[in-house]
Amino acid sequence: MIKSDIILHLINLTIAYLQAGRWLDAVRDVSLDIRAGETYGLVGESGSGKTTLALAIMGYLGGGGSVKLGEIKLDGQDLLALNENELREVWGSHIAFVPQNPQSSLNPSLRIGEQIAETLRYHQGFDKTDAHQKAIQLLEKVHIADAGLVANSYPHQISGGMQQRVMIAMALSTEPMLLVLDEPTTNLDVTTQAVILDLVRELIQNRQTAVLYVTHNLGVVAQLCDRVGVLYAGELVEEANTDDLYHKPLHPYTRGLLDSVPRLGEVKGEINLRAIQGQIPALDERASGCVFQARCPVGVEQCGQRPPIFHPTENRWVRCHRWEEIYGGQISVQQPELQDVAQHLVEDSEQGDVLKLERLEVYFPLHRSLNELVRRSPARLVRAVDGVSVNIPAGRTLGLVGESGSGKTTISRAIVGLVPRTGGSVQLLDFPLAPELKDRDLETLRHLQMVFQNPEEALNPYLTIGETLRRPLVTLLGYSGQVAEVKVRQLLEAVRLPASYANRLPDQLSGGEKQRVAIARAFASNPDVLICDEPVSALDVSVQASILNLLSDLQMDHDSSILFISHNLAVVSYLADQVAVIYLGHIMEVARSKVLFEPPYSPYTEALLSAIPVTDPHAEQRLVRLEGEIPSPADVPSGCPFHTRCPRYLGEICVDKEPPWQTDPETGKRYYCHIPPEDLRQIQEHIFRTDRTLNV
Amino acid sequence: MRNKHKIHRRVLVLVILLVTALILIACGGAATPEPTQAPLEPEQTEEAQIPEETAAAPIEPENTREGVLRVAMQPIVQTDPAFISSDSEVLVANHVYDYLVDVDPDSIAIPRLASEWTTSDDGKIYVFNLAEGVTFHDGSPLTAEDVVWTFNRLRDPALELPTSSLYSNILDIQATGDLEVTFTLETPNPFFLYDLSDNHALILKAGTEDADTNFNGTGPFKVVEYLPEDRIVLEANEAYFVKGQPSLAGLEIIFFNDETASVDALRGGQVDVVMRMATSLFSSLQDEPGIITSDIPTNGFDLVRLRSDREPGNDPRVIQALKLATDRDAVFELVQQGYGAVGNDTPIGPLYSQYYASDLEPPARDVDAARQLLSEAGYADGLDLVLHTPDTGGRPDLAVVLKDQWAEAGVNVEVSVEPESVYYGDDGWLEVDLGITGWGSRPYPQFYLDVMLVCEAKWNESHFCDTEFDELAMMAGTTLNEDERVEAYRQIQQLLIDRGPVIIPYYFAQFGAISDQFEGFELKAFAGRTDFREVTLAQ
Amino acid sequence: MTSGTLFSSRKSESSAAPGWGRRFSLTLRQLYSKPASAVGSTIVILFLFLALFGPILAPYGANEQIFSDARRPPSSAHLLGTDNLGRDVFSRVVLGASEILLIAGSGTLIAVLFGTIIGLISGYKGGWLDETLMRFFDSLLALPALLLALLLLGIMGPSKSSVLIVLVLVYTPIIARVVRSVVLSVKTKGFVEASRLQGESLSWIMFREILPSVMPALTVEAALRFSYAIFLVASLGFLGVGIQPPSPNWGLMVKEARVHISQTPWALYAPAIAISILVIGVNLMADGLKRVLQSTSSD
Repeated sequence: MIKSDIILHLINLTIAYLQAGRWLDAVRDVSLDIRAGETYGLVGESGSGKTTLALAIMGYLGGGGSVKLGEIKLDGQDLLALNENELREVWGSHIAFVPQNPQSSLNPSLRIGEQIAETLRYHQGFDKTDAHQKAIQLLEKVHIADAGLVANSYPHQISGGMQQRVMIAMALSTEPMLLVLDEPTTNLDVTTQAVILDLVRELIQNRQTAVLYVTHNLGVVAQLCDRVGVLYAGELVEEANTDDLYHKPLHPYTRGLLDSVPRLGEVKGEINLRAIQGQIPALDERASGCVFQARCPVGVEQCGQRPPIFHPTENRWVRCHRWEEIYGGQISVQQPELQDVAQHLVEDSEQGDVLKLERLEVYFPLHRSLNELVRRSPARLVRAVDGVSVNIPAGRTLGLVGESGSGKTTISRAIVGLVPRTGGSVQLLDFPLAPELKDRDLETLRHLQMVFQNPEEALNPYLTIGETLRRPLVTLLGYSGQVAEVKVRQLLEAVRLPASYANRLPDQLSGGEKQRVAIARAFASNPDVLICDEPVSALDVSVQASILNLLSDLQMDHDSSILFISHNLAVVSYLADQVAVIYLGHIMEVARSKVLFEPPYSPYTEALLSAIPVTDPHAEQRLVRLEGEIPSPADVPSGCPFHTRCPRYLGEICVDKEPPWQTDPETGKRYYCHIPPEDLRQIQEHIFRTDRTLNV
Repeated sequence: MRNKHKIHRRVLVLVILLVTALILIACGGAATPEPTQAPLEPEQTEEAQIPEETAAAPIEPENTREGVLRVAMQPIVQTDPAFISSDSEVLVANHVYDYLVDVDPDSIAIPRLASEWTTSDDGKIYVFNLAEGVTFHDGSPLTAEDVVWTFNRLRDPALELPTSSLYSNILDIQATGDLEVTFTLETPNPFFLYDLSDNHALILKAGTEDADTNFNGTGPFKVVEYLPEDRIVLEANEAYFVKGQPSLAGLEIIFFNDETASVDALRGGQVDVVMRMATSLFSSLQDEPGIITSDIPTNGFDLVRLRSDREPGNDPRVIQALKLATDRDAVFELVQQGYGAVGNDTPIGPLYSQYYASDLEPPARDVDAARQLLSEAGYADGLDLVLHTPDTGGRPDLAVVLKDQWAEAGVNVEVSVEPESVYYGDDGWLEVDLGITGWGSRPYPQFYLDVMLVCEAKWNESHFCDTEFDELAMMAGTTLNEDERVEAYRQIQQLLIDRGPVIIPYYFAQFGAISDQFEGFELKAFAGRTDFREVTLAQ
Repeated sequence: MTSGTLFSSRKSESSAAPGWGRRFSLTLRQLYSKPASAVGSTIVILFLFLALFGPILAPYGANEQIFSDARRPPSSAHLLGTDNLGRDVFSRVVLGASEILLIAGSGTLIAVLFGTIIGLISGYKGGWLDETLMRFFDSLLALPALLLALLLLGIMGPSKSSVLIVLVLVYTPIIARVVRSVVLSVKTKGFVEASRLQGESLSWIMFREILPSVMPALTVEAALRFSYAIFLVASLGFLGVGIQPPSPNWGLMVKEARVHISQTPWALYAPAIAISILVIGVNLMADGLKRVLQSTSSD
């Protein structure tokens, strides 16, 4: 990196939105510089204003928002003073944007090649044939195999990962001065995400492009960026080199953020996840003093005044009155423990298995075309879940990890009966469960409950919290009036919500609070098994920790078993006693979370672990990258389903024969592969070594 | 700031919409047909043979035929002269064919195809001499045979034509010469000449099989093109037997379903003549520049009748009550706006000056007496009736006015307005209990008696059957003694006032409006018999 | 992400959930916050008032003919003049309001009732029941409303109850579709599935879980259908189908007055303007309802 001119210069930028007739500041007094060749990570949760900032820089704010104060300068040129035509010139040649959702940014009615060529022709004056050629070259540059074919395809015909590559190709086609990326990998699978990040890293390596990378994912920032700015409630509270920030965070918010995110390899028995108390203030609720004061564990009276910028060293700054004490180590900015986090000892359970899945199959027939109907070909099947056998011991948590399309959600729905299984059996307490929900009696329902992914849709918006919680008590347990009232209050207390919430409507609660109510509802009937389907994926990072802790506590109180489904391996491994990894409807590995991160790994787990960006800039991560795309569940590969992409592909045997279950005697891991554990242990190394130091 | 613009724009849009809506409604809903600017086609003067002197046709010097007259009329259904009935159907036929004799506005029979005639003393034998040089449109000459054939067809009981009962009195028809026809009657008929001039009695060529499509008449105009539902286009018959007629080069009868639309077309210059319109439409044309209006009294009327052959009409007190509950003067003012004449429940109107008994009139309106009668008849709690009416002319208004008037006597009327084609179609109008029917003007009142009120009458919608009436009608229709006839009619009027089944609140006026580019237009009481042979372009 | 501005920011003034009464007054207040919907709502309320109290307010009867007063222009005795038969136009317009609103209103309400139930069941159950119902409704929807009305009235014969049946047949399919589409999107939501997992009965799920989410779209659609129904009833009156004189149906009044427009133009303008104002008013109100009930910030 050659430190040269400042490409992007934001000075005291304040952006406001019009909401119900009032102008409210979404971004307040933000100043930052990005130099040529530098990658700047802008970190913030939802509601922090990071997307607003990115859009404002691009000039894409739209009717509801406007820049109230400050300047945006691109290589010295004032962007705010430009009219639309001039802006368009700038967009084409000087700034490029890679958005979060490629699907909505690509024109669905134009072929890929045409879209890329369009930019080239308009901004760089290529003629038609040249532009098409250049487009194909660009596609090759972003490692799209068969670039000619893709150039002739429509956006809906290619996968999400490929679409994003196309967006990147288009962005870089103009050799911009500044590249702005807004959460480009959020909607992608972990393995795909890794590949895209590699690509971005490679492409910016040899250019002088200034890069602004906006995200909430601390791991990605750690791996990709040179400098990091932390945005909270519209204000930039800290800025530093990546190294400095991760190893010596100064601002209490940064600290809290880092503490609340589970890291790979950390298990609940060993460390405590600490959530940041409170929640991000809404636009109209922002205080005038330090914006973080309400949630800060070390706030003092002085914090009523907005802290100025302090420079502990030349390269970093922080907005905190107490930075010196923090820097010097005199005070600890750890968030208080909300409750004693019970230390689960991970032992083998002596009680029996409370939930048993035996060769569970869920197949969906595809609609047959007229052709196929006439020819009487058998219906093609989508094999969402293909012979899964797994058990959950009483009082324990089983984590189920997989990417999208792996079948993990289908398993959860099949267990519960929302989706009828087509084969195999599900036994609850040695009692077989009917495939469909409507065939199960109330007694059964009482023992098996579920928490859903989207907290915003988890509660009936027209019922109060109290009414929502009362229903299971009345329907499943048969309580009435008075008794139910008492129970409702107890439930609220158990999820750490005030009793007054019983009279509120869901709209008056935050996302995290809604999920708590959903959890309370699920525990109302004291179920033996609780299925949690991605319960924290939709929540802010700082809130996730509290939910995970809550689940953990409640499980202990009720002695329930939990099936915890997620795509986030870090979260799962923190909470679960055992982890199962699923790919294309097949379980690939089952291991205790403590030993999940030690070899031997099943090849798929190996790839998965390699793909996850570690929240540690110094971590060395072995990079195993998967080629190609996940096959469609309608066309599951024969033999081992992973053989099409496996980096440890043996040969014909992987195609012809279904692999056996291997058990590693040392760690107790069971996995699905032709390679025996001893061999794997020899060829595999530890995926990563982290250097995480707890507390400062 | 932007919000204010949005408001202004919205208000503007609202206003524009409102104004547009108003304009559209005011201009009338029915689409006006494409304006046909009929080009003036001056014709070459023809070498016409000078016809022999006929009794009535004047010798006109040859003149160039010019002008196309466009007439707005209701759509026609029947084209076979034997089946026509509506104004427009008769109008068309009247110009494609000819009658043997015509009737002038003073109700005197005048020659048309028959140039002269003689009657025997006993009134049973009529001999007609036909005009010379008359040809059909296909070129063949008119002979007595054609007349014989035509009337034999009209009176053939097997064919059950509307006229079969009318001509049942004819014993025999003979072609007693090349151009001479002799009719022999069974009993004398003082109105025979009028009967011969019945709307249907147009002369067809003998042996015509497709009388509804071939339009092969002797009339002043030839059919050029018939477009059903749209118009019928006619051009002057160069070989017409009356020299100098027609003066027009062409005639177009354009069909309109909607009276308002036809009047609008007249205003807009798309048609030249309108003869069928509601009273208020006629009033609105009074001061219109470029349009000449005329109205003449007629013998036509609207009648309201209750079937007297079954409940509730079979109790004469009920009909009496209805009559007592009706205020004919109010009806006349409201519905006819003073045009025409007030009715007295008989089909013999003031135009029949010699027959009309002006001193006889129905009793004055008495609602209480009506109530009394009804309760005696067993309807003390009220009588429910459905009043069917076609949707043309003043009839819907008449229905509504009667509903209001009769309500005071405890009669609950539910009005049912039907399209004309539905009301008259399939003879439904003869079946309903309570209905309003319009009757066109006839030159003599006997027609109504014979066709509407006599026991066996074909169109006896009220199913009236009274022997005394039948006798009187028979007598009036056959005697050759005029005084006897007057007396008989007088008694008939009294009878009908006392116990007749019909309410006739008014007699129509016939309206006509014509563009001032034309002259020579003479309105007839039965609009369909209006004659355009002498209409010319205004000089 | 707030659904509807009805429930405002998290820190609400009262911690208790608003009851239906308060929701209603809140909706009303929000309707009046913007001029367009304020105008619309006022118009609707005004006409409802006229409809309810018409018989008391109208100085003359609907078919009361005073022939000495026929064809008079507007005056103090006759606010909107008299028509060709001497009937007071103002009274007829006022009484016509209750006619039209009663028929259109009850027709819409019944259609809403049927449509909601059918839409709920069809959407929730799915399967062949859903397919059959929807295909049948599709075929009904393919026919223009007026055409369908004329056809049905021709078969059934003109009468008030026929017109009502026509309204129900014409509008039930649309309502059912709207309800069904909302049901389809709601039934996959977490809280509905949670209810199923708790063993709630079918009627509870349909009426307490799903139906409230349907209400906003349903209300807006009902208001819209109401305006169409008014227009349809007036159109039928204008065509002279199904409505017989001397009914003060505005459409019929317009038809009757056309012939006499040169003599009594007020007899035509008054009902025509009444139709326009009412239909526009209901539409504006429906727009306002859409804004109030269905605005989502996530678009």
